[in-house]
Amino acid sequence: MISSLSGGAHRLFSIVLPSFALSLGACSIPRDPSGTMDRVEQSGTLRLGVIEGAEMNEASRRTLARVLDRTGSRPETQRGDSEVVLARLKKGEIDLVYGELAMDSPWSREVAFSAPQGLLAKAPKSEPVPRFAVMNGENGWLMLGSEASK
Amino acid sequence: MSEIPSAIKQDFRNAKKLEWWTLGWMGSVVVVMYFTMGASQAMKTALFEDVLSLVPAMTFLVSAHLEPRAPTEKFPYGFLRANSLAFLGSSVVLTFLGLFLAYTNGMGLMKGEHPTVGPVTMFGETIWLGWLMIAALVYSVVPPVILGRLKQPIAQRISDKVLYTDSLMQKADWQTGLAGIAGIVGIGLGLWWADSLAALLISISIVKDGITATRSASAELLDGAPRRLEGSGVSEEAVRLQDRLQQRWPEGRIRLRESGRYILASVDGIETPGEIPPAEELMDPGRSWRLGRLSFTPHGKEDPAHHR
Repeated sequence: MISSLSGGAHRLFSIVLPSFALSLGACSIPRDPSGTMDRVEQSGTLRLGVIEGAEMNEASRRTLARVLDRTGSRPETQRGDSEVVLARLKKGEIDLVYGELAMDSPWSREVAFSAPQGLLAKAPKSEPVPRFAVMNGENGWLMLGSEASK
Repeated sequence: MSEIPSAIKQDFRNAKKLEWWTLGWMGSVVVVMYFTMGASQAMKTALFEDVLSLVPAMTFLVSAHLEPRAPTEKFPYGFLRANSLAFLGSSVVLTFLGLFLAYTNGMGLMKGEHPTVGPVTMFGETIWLGWLMIAALVYSVVPPVILGRLKQPIAQRISDKVLYTDSLMQKADWQTGLAGIAGIVGIGLGLWWADSLAALLISISIVKDGITATRSASAELLDGAPRRLEGSGVSEEAVRLQDRLQQRWPEGRIRLRESGRYILASVDGIETPGEIPPAEELMDPGRSWRLGRLSFTPHGKEDPAHHR
């Protein structure tokens, strides 16, 4: 029960809301609070972290190629231990991470995991499967990755 | 007094029907919100508020079942106050839960947590989960606003605090929905703080509801004078009754209190008169049912509160 609105506020809402809705339609939703997609598009470089020991499967390569194509960027790959690579992703020093990650890993709360890449059956939460990870809250970037993996 | 008075029987039945509708309809809202809430704090907090909105309905239905029961040896005054007791308990819970949610959301805001609301695939199409959340929030606003509007006049006619507070909370529920939608749209626009801020506003509204309900319920349990349904002032109906009793027995001391939906009146310092006026003469037209008891206590036999 948030404090009730006065008649003036009602009128304000009736003007503001439709124009707000129009402006929503005009720009792409969702956007990234830390601006990952804008940065990749503007710099033309996608900083890709690959977790040591993970080899990209066919589906992951296709997803990555589509993301590079849509952002007009080239990959700059860095390999490393999962702790190091994911910590750098969390800090925004890397744009995208690829690795075999289990859904019940503690990292699933620190960063955002994509859907499994190239798996037809649903994997158990404890099983590490090939997937990408992005910084938490970068919803536009996550959407782009998801559309690219279709 | 254990039977529901015939003057309000139909309204009482309608109120029960509306509360069953509330359970069903709001239950469906809770399910829809649960499946779409994702990582949004605003959605999670709005879901809590929707679950909590089931409590007054349940309280009403349980007490409506108990209230008409005949008094027993152990409860010789019947179960008129079952509803007040349940209401006090649930409103205290409501307040503390609201405080807990305000704390959690305030911390989330201070820590700068960025909520992830990702894609969802439906019927082969990948869409942003935020759109589904907004649709769920729009749906969550419709039933409570309709039910709240239907309940309010009935609550006034049957003088039911639980039902009235319930109707007020429901009528204002669209504001929670709007705050939630603003939070999700904020996430969509890349404003990470919008979600936590919306969640914080919703938690504050839960605390406000809790405090209103606690004040309303505790006044009756302290044998306070009958209160108005809206606000915490003394009811005008009770003031009029007090004046009429005082006119008839100017030398007596009149005290009124509330038991459930009924007013209990006592005239102290007066021997029981031979002829007691009927309730219709003392109460407003159509409201005689509300005078539950009129008692007289001769001088020197009053209870301890009288001498203070």
